[in-house]
Amino acid sequence: MKFHWFHLMPYPDLPDDFRQRYAGVWVDPPVRELFDPKRGHAAYNDYLDELEHAERAGFDGICVNEHHQNAYGLMPSPNLMVAALARRTTRAKLVIMGNSPALYNPPIRVAEEMAMLDVLSGGRIVSGFPVGTPMDTTFCYGENPATLREKYREAVALILRAWTEKRPFAFNGKYTQLRYVNVWPQPMQQPHPPIWIPGGGSVETWDWCVQNDFLYAYLSYFGYKAGLATMKGFWEVVDKLGVAANPYRAGFLQFVAVADSDAEAERLYAKHALYFYNRCLHISPSFANPPGYTSIATMRKGIEGQVARAAAMSPDLTWKDIVERGYVVAGSAATVVDRLNDMADAMRVGHLMVLCHFGDMPKDKVYQNTERFARDVIPKLRPRFNEWEDKWWPKDAPPVQAPASLQPA
Amino acid sequence: MKIETIQLASGRSQQIVRVGAGPDLVWLHGLHGVPAHDPFVAELAKRFSVIAPIAPGFNDLAELDDIRDVHDLALHYDDILTALKLDRVCVIGHSFGAMIAAELAAHVPARVARLALLSPIGVWRDDHPVADLFGRPYTTIDKLIWAGGTPIGKMGVRDASAGPVESLVTLARGMTVVAKFLWPLPDKGLHRRLYRITSPSLVMSGAKDPLVPRSYAEVFRAGMHGAKAIEIAGAGHMLPYEQTDVVCKDLLPFMQTD
Repeated sequence: MKFHWFHLMPYPDLPDDFRQRYAGVWVDPPVRELFDPKRGHAAYNDYLDELEHAERAGFDGICVNEHHQNAYGLMPSPNLMVAALARRTTRAKLVIMGNSPALYNPPIRVAEEMAMLDVLSGGRIVSGFPVGTPMDTTFCYGENPATLREKYREAVALILRAWTEKRPFAFNGKYTQLRYVNVWPQPMQQPHPPIWIPGGGSVETWDWCVQNDFLYAYLSYFGYKAGLATMKGFWEVVDKLGVAANPYRAGFLQFVAVADSDAEAERLYAKHALYFYNRCLHISPSFANPPGYTSIATMRKGIEGQVARAAAMSPDLTWKDIVERGYVVAGSAATVVDRLNDMADAMRVGHLMVLCHFGDMPKDKVYQNTERFARDVIPKLRPRFNEWEDKWWPKDAPPVQAPASLQPA
Repeated sequence: MKIETIQLASGRSQQIVRVGAGPDLVWLHGLHGVPAHDPFVAELAKRFSVIAPIAPGFNDLAELDDIRDVHDLALHYDDILTALKLDRVCVIGHSFGAMIAAELAAHVPARVARLALLSPIGVWRDDHPVADLFGRPYTTIDKLIWAGGTPIGKMGVRDASAGPVESLVTLARGMTVVAKFLWPLPDKGLHRRLYRITSPSLVMSGAKDPLVPRSYAEVFRAGMHGAKAIEIAGAGHMLPYEQTDVVCKDLLPFMQTD
């Protein structure tokens, strides 16, 4: 199994009565009222420290993602964060769980920036292409929910062609027309970085991922118990299409909180988990499901999207709720290993993304949680799925030159 | 009520609802399609041969694959009139259908003999923004279109034959069509084309429309040469269903002149 350290970069100072005073955390919480750039400065720098620390602790990858007009996701551009990380890390792979290609005009901007980052980092990029949530894509960026998915697929196809065609070409798409496609630079990884598709549970995405050999990553805030039905659906499609059920075609996101004992986990982390679930996940139902965003087939299958679920969530969860439902896997290392073994058995995911930072957790606790997970949990799970080849991960070769500034004097 | 499927020169199929007897009248429906029990269509059918095309996408979203914008949409309706051999016809549209009616009349003015726009959408004023039709769960849309917040009369009776999932699918499909042409806000340039509408035209609006502010009726009226505007007190966006008799009193004589 591989382990990746994921940061959402929440704004850490939402008021205690945020849920009462504001309609939601996304799209329209008034930034002038809620955001202090000085606090943001400290948070960004802490968060980058934490991602760098995850490399030192031994994680395989460090992950960032893309959200817009969102108080729990201060990364409208994950690429800027990865640009900073590329210069301050040398080993960990850089898993970029944005960009939503439909949001960029023309989408080859994404091909250019991913290639820049891959070259800069010495071939350490994983390129995630989410459709993007309804809030990010349709309400914040004005994309039409009726055509978003088609535009997204066209954009992904264009990016892949831009990375693989031997000669400059013309692209006459429904949503993008370009007379000359000839993206400089090209990625270091050939033919291109691994493609990961973060999904929220759309049935069409499963077929598409398997047919194109993309990794399917289910980014859930609700833990492995709730995520099981979705991953089951994915593996059924793998089986239906007659493809080997290699666990490394799948990824899953899980909050974890490791301490010396279950009681200590509560003492250390409960406050910060509750900040996340009760403030950050205060999502207005108004923006959760615009018409057309969810396909008719997905509606008929009765699969509820991530954000729709969050919007429907009952307020004021307790630590007990969060842990019992598996939203956060918390406790002693032994407890966490047991739970994650259960998860690996049931979900068959080779790539586990963990959130060791959540809500308003301060840096010392983040380091503690990160180190404990790396030291006491990862080695116990590491051998799982060793019999499978991971084809969805950057290769370590060729050896790359670390930036001179990072080399020993 | 009779439902037929016709073939258009574009190769597309088009479903048409026909009901009533009298002079031809094209009805372009609003957000709910043409329910079998549509009480306003039933009222029109007493005086006219009502021809009601189901907007592309309302039955199957794939019908929209090649109808990419309001221009494609207007030409699709022009194709419908050609297939039906309606060289020049009276057209009434409601809400989203009123926008289509106005676009049709602006694109091919000679085809529209008389035009009535009931609670039209399709223009935007910065000083009086239209409420956000999409920034709410579409299951709660009734609050935004009925003056009293809930459907009344036969429109309030849910079709029991469709289960809850299929009812939701039907609503989602219709709203997806509307979103395709109105996202993120209802301004696709119609105000620049209104001057092309040359038929005698009538704009009817509800004074208590929660979706479209009162000032919009004047935008439509002033944009079309010699158009008349009538505001109905107490009515919301679902004007023809909320005050059927009041609407018909002015509307039916207007459509029958000539």
